[in-house]
Amino acid sequence: MDIKKKIKWGILILFIIALTILYKFYNPATNIYFPKCPFRELTGFKCPGCGSQRAIHYLLNFEIYEAIKENALLVLSIPYLLTGFIFDLIKNPNVELLKWRKIFFGEKPIYIILIIIVAFWILRNTTYCQQYI
Amino acid sequence: MKKYFYTDGTDKFGPFTLEELKEKNISRETQVWFQELGKWKPAGNVPELSEIFELSPPPIAKTNLINNNKENINNRKPPKTWLVESILVTIFCCLPFGIAGIVNASKVESRFYAGDIDEANRASQEAYKWTKIAFWIGIAVAVIYLIITIIGVVSGY
Repeated sequence: MDIKKKIKWGILILFIIALTILYKFYNPATNIYFPKCPFRELTGFKCPGCGSQRAIHYLLNFEIYEAIKENALLVLSIPYLLTGFIFDLIKNPNVELLKWRKIFFGEKPIYIILIIIVAFWILRNTTYCQQYI
Repeated sequence: MKKYFYTDGTDKFGPFTLEELKEKNISRETQVWFQELGKWKPAGNVPELSEIFELSPPPIAKTNLINNNKENINNRKPPKTWLVESILVTIFCCLPFGIAGIVNASKVESRFYAGDIDEANRASQEAYKWTKIAFWIGIAVAVIYLIITIIGVVSGY
């Protein structure tokens, strides 16, 4: 790895550590310095990402239920995203691994993800689901 | 003097001398015949006729390349799709750009497994571009928001 890449990764890791500390000790729900969702400010509707800052705060304090209530999509996607991240890191996967990669991260699963995001977006703005997600 | 014949698949033409045959614009795939040859053969496979093709480029092997790629594709890793990063930016900041990233991620997969590596690489770069744009816009919006809030607090609103 060349030096430029190392610096880039170093800054990114420091940035993530700083954010982790920030989100653990400050609750975005009660602190005015955290950015608000522009989509929600403008339209009054939630976007699929609304509540993710609060969800991170609760997750870092191990309050899983509170986190799910703020943004279920975020909490449920964490294991999937971690798996995807690990698959990305494997340089020369064998045929077996590639098969699994295709099953979970291939073209069709990506379409399913898009459908889930849009469905979550619509459902969380309906009066019936509002109070849950 | 050798006499050559060629065929377009239905009709046969000839006899021609080698000089005459050169004028006929035949390709490496054109079937030719002369007495010593015994049976019809593609002109490209006949050493005596090689001088006809000296100036014409060999056939483009693109279709072959795609077929070869297809055989190896299941042993190879597709280019980076940026799917994880795209989903993260969708959830954390910039929905439209995140979605653009996810759509390109699916394009990387479909193009790669169709054997079109070049297109897959292009889609990979496109996905990277959108996640990068989303990442920096997210940071910019957060910083601008923070500055405005601080100004607001300091000036007493």
